[in-house]
Amino acid sequence: MLMMSRREGETILIGDEIEIVIAHGGRTRVKVGIRAPRDMPVVAREVKLVQDQNRAAARAALLPGAVSGLMAHLQPSGNRRP
Amino acid sequence: MPSFETKNFGTISYKESSSIQFPWGLPGFEDRRLFLALNFEDTKPLVFLQSLEDPGLCFITMPVLAVDPRYQLRMSDEDLARLELPRQCQPQIGRDVVCLTILALQENGPTANLLAPVVVSIRNFKAIQAIVPDSDYSHEHRLLPQETAVCS
Repeated sequence: MLMMSRREGETILIGDEIEIVIAHGGRTRVKVGIRAPRDMPVVAREVKLVQDQNRAAARAALLPGAVSGLMAHLQPSGNRRP
Repeated sequence: MPSFETKNFGTISYKESSSIQFPWGLPGFEDRRLFLALNFEDTKPLVFLQSLEDPGLCFITMPVLAVDPRYQLRMSDEDLARLELPRQCQPQIGRDVVCLTILALQENGPTANLLAPVVVSIRNFKAIQAIVPDSDYSHEHRLLPQETAVCS
């Protein structure tokens, strides 16, 4: 991974179309400005993780046997339930 | 009483006041804003988040405390403001908010998304899926049978 040191207000270019500005550097967080083509999705990594996870969860919920499979997993026979 | 045709549960009637509003949708489903939380005696502790705009969209969820009784909810100031909750303190599960975790069925068993719980304000029924950037919780927490048994 390419590592670069930048000061506040300085910019990094990726290709011709993507510009990243270090807007503010704090003690524990940095604020980053991103200029990119409108059709290019820009999201935090964890948001992408959750998007993918939600789409997979929604697809799986429609599969036949999804609920019974889950219930069988949660309450295997011989489980001590009151 | 309005009713809605769903793919999983047939036609359901519901009280308008019981619908849950996601003003920002959920990640991946940003334009789905209205849901119902359904639960049934024979599928406890599962809670089904059924979209009222898409008959085929339903998330299978569980109360987050049923997966991890020691779960610590940490919401960002921005998310607290979105639910009109006070910023000074974290909301208490059960008193201020209902907190659900979306389940996913993976090849090697079901998982719960503890990184991004669904948080519903009890006061106004507004909800968001709260992502906490520096969370130690996983988006793919393995669901173990005994975890639920302890809570049931």
